Amino acid sequence: MSDAKRVRLPRWREDFPVKWEDDHYVTRRELAKFLTLGSALLAGANAVVAVVGARRKPETYEPRRVASASAIAPGQSMLFRYPSDDDPCVLVRMRDGTLAAFSQVCTHLSCAVVYRPDEERLFCPCHNGAFACSGGHGGARPVAGPPERALPRIAIELRDDEVWALGVER
Amino acid sequence: MESRKQGIPLFSATCFLVGMLVVIQLWLLSASMEELAAGDVPPLARAAVASAILFAANFGLVRYVLAFDRRQRRSTGD
Repeated sequence: MSDAKRVRLPRWREDFPVKWEDDHYVTRRELAKFLTLGSALLAGANAVVAVVGARRKPETYEPRRVASASAIAPGQSMLFRYPSDDDPCVLVRMRDGTLAAFSQVCTHLSCAVVYRPDEERLFCPCHNGAFACSGGHGGARPVAGPPERALPRIAIELRDDEVWALGVER
Repeated sequence: MESRKQGIPLFSATCFLVGMLVVIQLWLLSASMEELAAGDVPPLARAAVASAILFAANFGLVRYVLAFDRRQRRSTGD
């Protein structure tokens, strides 16, 4: 076919062919283009997430008094809020007398966890998730149920029998 | 050797492959957002690089089949 004849064909004929076989061909071509556009958008979104993560400033926390240490007996717990009034936390005194504090928000679907002194675990009643309280560093690691991420630990300090919350360790 | 009959399975295979890579990108994005919410920053850059590589692979594949299509149309005069 000569160049002159090819130029005369209208562009719409490429996208609206008469034959079924040609129509399927155009559909696949458009789908491949559409998927590539989606791929570009996803790559862009991933880059945006990486930039947002890199530019995030480290969080700073104000120390806050939680409770009197002598008010909590071994195997008991008490609730408090830290760092803001919208962040529920739980202070526990384990059976060996150690004090520890954790976020009370389950990392699975944000239900409130409760302390079970017999197992030394924080238990989530929504989906039977459990977090181990033991271990001096990092959050309470998940040991049962659907949660995969550790519960954030609240850094605490004893000041003259007073428990103070100092920060959040994720 | 190239023909429209060859082109249809080629496009189908490319669409399938590109679709699979897009699903992996979707998984990468959701995992990245979860890591961002958890405050775990180091994996985010790696996920972004992996997603960019997947996009480059998609782009290369689609470019290849579109070039095939162009050659094929040029030869048949459609």
